[in-house]
Amino acid sequence: MLTITDLTITYPNGHQATRDVNLTIAPGEILALAGETGSGKSTIAKALLGLLPPGSTATGLARLDELDLTGRSPRDWEGIRGSRIGVVPQGAMTGLNPVRRISDQLIESVRVHTHAARRPAAARALDLLRQVRLPANTADVFPHQLSGGQRQRVAIALALAGDPQLLVADEPTTGLDLVTQNHILDLLAELRTSQQVGMLLISHDLPALRGIADRVAVMYSGTLVESGPAAEPAHHPYTRALLAAMPSLRPDVPWVSIPGAVPDRSTSGGGCAFADRCPWAAESCHLQRPLPVPVKSAVVACHHPSDDRQLAFPTAATPGRQAVDKIDAEARPVVRLGGVGHVYRSRHRRTTALAGLDLQVHAGQIVGVVGESGSGKSTLGQILLGLLRPTTGRVEVAGADLTRLRGRQLRGVRHRLGFVAQDPYGALHPAMTVADLVAEPLRIAGTPRHLHPARISRALDRAGLPTDLTGKRPDQLSGGQRQRVAIARALAGEPVLLIADEATSMLDVSTRAGIATTLRHLADGIGLAVLFITHDLGEAVQNCDQIVVLHEGVPVQQGSPGEVIARPNPGYPADLVAAARRHAGPSAVPSG
Amino acid sequence: MRAGLLAGRIGAVLLTALAVGAVAGPWLLSTDGRERLAAPYAPPSADRWLGADDLGRDLFAQLVIGARGSLGIALLVALAATTIAALVGGLAGLAPPWAAGIVMRVVDLVLALPFLPLLILAAAFLGPTLGVRAAVVAALVWAGPARLIRAGVLAAWSRGHLQAARAMGASAWYLLLRHASPVVAPLLVPVFVRAAMTAIVLDASLAFLGLGDPTSPSWGTMIHWASVRGAMLTDAWLWWALPPGLAIVLTVTALALVGVATEDRLNPTLRQAR
Amino acid sequence: MSVASSPVRSRTGLVRAVLGRAGGYLAVFAVALTITFLLPRALPGGPLRTLGGADVADLDPAVRAQVAAAYGLDQPLPVQFWRYLRDLARLDLGESFNGGRPVAEAIADALPWTLLLVGTSVLLTAAIGVALGVIAGLRRGRGKGNLLLAGVLLLDAAPAFWVGMLAILFFGVHLGALPTFGATTVGHTGLAAVGDVATHLVLPVGVLVVAGIGQFFLVTRFSVASALHAPHVEHAHARGIPHRRVVARHLLRPALLPVHTQLMIELGWLVGGALVVETVFAYPGLGRLTFDAIQGRDYPTMQATFLTLVVTVLVMNALADLTYPLLDPRTRTRGAA
Ligand SMILES: Nc1ncnc2c1ncn2[C@@H]1O[C@H](COP(=O)(O)OP(=O)(O)OP(=O)(O)O)[C@@H](O)[C@H]1O
Ligand code: SF4
Ligand SMILES: [Mg+2]
Repeated sequence: MLTITDLTITYPNGHQATRDVNLTIAPGEILALAGETGSGKSTIAKALLGLLPPGSTATGLARLDELDLTGRSPRDWEGIRGSRIGVVPQGAMTGLNPVRRISDQLIESVRVHTHAARRPAAARALDLLRQVRLPANTADVFPHQLSGGQRQRVAIALALAGDPQLLVADEPTTGLDLVTQNHILDLLAELRTSQQVGMLLISHDLPALRGIADRVAVMYSGTLVESGPAAEPAHHPYTRALLAAMPSLRPDVPWVSIPGAVPDRSTSGGGCAFADRCPWAAESCHLQRPLPVPVKSAVVACHHPSDDRQLAFPTAATPGRQAVDKIDAEARPVVRLGGVGHVYRSRHRRTTALAGLDLQVHAGQIVGVVGESGSGKSTLGQILLGLLRPTTGRVEVAGADLTRLRGRQLRGVRHRLGFVAQDPYGALHPAMTVADLVAEPLRIAGTPRHLHPARISRALDRAGLPTDLTGKRPDQLSGGQRQRVAIARALAGEPVLLIADEATSMLDVSTRAGIATTLRHLADGIGLAVLFITHDLGEAVQNCDQIVVLHEGVPVQQGSPGEVIARPNPGYPADLVAAARRHAGPSAVPSG
Repeated sequence: MRAGLLAGRIGAVLLTALAVGAVAGPWLLSTDGRERLAAPYAPPSADRWLGADDLGRDLFAQLVIGARGSLGIALLVALAATTIAALVGGLAGLAPPWAAGIVMRVVDLVLALPFLPLLILAAAFLGPTLGVRAAVVAALVWAGPARLIRAGVLAAWSRGHLQAARAMGASAWYLLLRHASPVVAPLLVPVFVRAAMTAIVLDASLAFLGLGDPTSPSWGTMIHWASVRGAMLTDAWLWWALPPGLAIVLTVTALALVGVATEDRLNPTLRQAR
Repeated sequence: MSVASSPVRSRTGLVRAVLGRAGGYLAVFAVALTITFLLPRALPGGPLRTLGGADVADLDPAVRAQVAAAYGLDQPLPVQFWRYLRDLARLDLGESFNGGRPVAEAIADALPWTLLLVGTSVLLTAAIGVALGVIAGLRRGRGKGNLLLAGVLLLDAAPAFWVGMLAILFFGVHLGALPTFGATTVGHTGLAAVGDVATHLVLPVGVLVVAGIGQFFLVTRFSVASALHAPHVEHAHARGIPHRRVVARHLLRPALLPVHTQLMIELGWLVGGALVVETVFAYPGLGRLTFDAIQGRDYPTMQATFLTLVVTVLVMNALADLTYPLLDPRTRTRGAA
């Protein structure tokens, strides 16, 4: 049905975003397209919909049955977009008009694509809602009255309004919580069968896609490195690395990171783009570009494809026994929370963000706080930093009772804490150099100047950064390096507690395990207490000594990773563990 | 984008030319605009480019000297208003909600005051000296921009580096100077420009109503005298009332060009659309 | 699983929100009340200065005390304030120092003219400014859009009084086509009177429109240009909704929300801002009344006009706040997500 042949797309600025991509999708087939940021996934989706910015060039071929999709003028897409090819927007951000009712938007789409009269169109709109498993009264509300998952269902209904043959979904579940993600994926799988639509599902979350896709294609740096049946093991080292970089719920499966970063295409020579990071790279790999060749039922672009060879990537250290033993139960914990709760009050409502949390974090311990967005994780972080005064309970951090302190004294406590935020792009002042950034807590705390250089280089070293980066600015660093700068900055003040609020969630999967490893080394090596806030249960399982599961502000389970996985409390923890198991997909190829 | 840049450049060049004219111009003139040198209502001629007023004084000289008054008050007001707005708006964006709430109520109050009548009142009772006028206009125009700057700082919180610095225990002053300033600084250009525009027009209106400072001429006072001394009834309006009005239009347009150009550059969605 | 939650319209919440805002307005009103009361008393010379003629200092102390007592100015400030409030509640605004006419009457005469003048011009300004702004916003960065922008900026830069003078010169003096003075000519009845009022409106309204278009234009242009790349707009394109429809139904309504606020701000502002134009055209509105009161040191009238102006601004602000949820459902009902 859809055939893409040798598709090469160049943006108006001369950047070649994809090179010689070959793909096919049959009716009723789901093709999952995976790969890290910037690999060119969205570019392909945009090309299929004629949404590339004006001035881009596309060579090669993309056909939907008899229809040529390349070489159309921007005005020439009527009768294709929406009618032949439907599109589902990114999960978190809404593609819905905020000021019009759902019914209006559905009816509009139906009428635009089928030229139906108003009444039949309204009936069809209700029908569409039923197809995406939403009750009929959803039609009467505005988008802001729906949850993220419900909104995404509406978006899918909109995409189906024109009865398309092909559905293009670019990151349809990003930003949704795990349970909802699975529901949306299930819905897509179901629609594929009931409506016989082909789907192009784009995501960087490869394991999750493998669960519902028929075939999987993986892109790296603009080229397709592998495509093959989802049910069969992968052959390309990059595909296998991506699978292994997803933290699994089994502590015995190593969690790997891929060292290095995606090369700058303009400087890379004629060899394999992955060669600098590939554990199997041989000399020929640097000289000769691997061409796609059939390997079993897959097509792989690699000189040394293998589905059983060991990967030998650095792995995250699983919490060692001795790490737990070393904690001195007698010593006073760094963090002691008793019955902490917080209620946000606004003009209209009260929101309980946190309720009745008891928690202790000892030196050398990593405590994971797991929960979906809105579960109170960040509220907890803010309370520990003394940025938010809890409405109930006692907060003792580094021996100070935070609920009693104010102003200067409170800021003084903060000097002894380290905080790493979610967004490595925003959290670093764009105009400061790495040295300046790392020195900032020292300046704020008024540490004498002559002590700065030694402290800076020690912090950089502990965060796993080479000291020759000190003169660089954030935009000259990769995402992983930026997050390490943020960690170094948090360490500069020699803190007793490090709070990492979703510190890995905006990073590429390939670098997450590396950051987690660094935190583990810090806990083991210098006895740092770490509060590791994450929405990813797998990450917490792989990296933490203790886990607290938060749901709507309530701690629903506390315990060691093994306990949480093996004996989740009924209700939310059980759902979460089940969803995470499913999300991890058919288990990755054993990598030895 | 390119057009916006061009507009900004044209505006900047015009403003520079006007400023140079206002500063250097009076020295190059042979009269101070108060001497009676020609016949009353004399039409333009080779030595008197814009003719003379009802007392035979050189109107071109008045126009050049008037630039000082008009641009001077614009500069004073814009500086003062921008400073107040940056401090109030910036700190209100960083202060705890209750404190910010009080400040913003004050802003609401100032915004609800009848601008022009108050200015007239002040000029009528406190005297129309440059200082009084500038102070009153500045006291009235800072409020809107303060709101804008606060919104800018609040939006900047989402950028994270403010959050991060606060988590390190930084004080509000530190945050304002080191972290909010890059966010606030670019906002100051449109704020400055807008305050200058408002000041020029308000001050000219005041002068037109006869409440200008009789000792320091400005474009507004020229128009006032033209109107009062019957220039509009003869052809004299062409060289008496028209040029100062055009001068105001030129200055305000130049400011607006600079303002629009920076505003367009500031809007991230517009930038991304490039 | 997911059951669409029915919209929760929390009545009490809405009522509380309205009350909360009303409290804010009341506070501003109270402060304004105090300021208007203190203003004449704080100014150099005080209210007595003009009462007794040119120079109070020359007055016989006995006469002075008599005059002060007549106006209640011999009482302590709190008593004066109390009387001021009491009279205000009875809508007794005192009598003009110039001629002794009740101030309430003067305001009642002037306010409708100002509302007519300002109302008409703001509606016209908004309509034209928004229309042009939408055009320029959709064509931002392209030839036509830039030309439009330059034109509007130029128009906007012209001070109202100057435009007014030129307008009088051309339409009144040279063409003789339109009245340039006052709001009515005597001797018209019925329809003719309506026509008369309308022709008197043309020039002042025209001047106010020219002077005011810029704000609406700029706000609209900026907002529309930003909305061009809003996620839901881009997605509507991707879904195959035709371009015109995307603009009309998905882009404009959310993009025009800021214009509504601008409209109300402008309305409130112009009531005082029309002063200059009212003076130029000798239009018998509130602005002129204010100006004359200041010129004549007529304190009771001044107080009353200032208060009226503040109240007008507040009412417009409140209207903007209250009508906004009608346009933006996000502020109307709260999500139950
Ligand atoms: N409009 C554009 N102009 C120039 N280059 C672009 C443009 N859009 C994307 N690119 C570049 O093209 C490459 C591929 O981008 P693309 O958006 O397709 O990646 P992606 O795989 O979808 O990444 P992500 O996971 O972040 O969505 C990247 O290097 C990106 O920087
Ligand atoms: S071609 Fe060589 S370097 Fe590239 S992926 Fe295969 S083995 Fe690794
Ligand atoms: Mg993408």
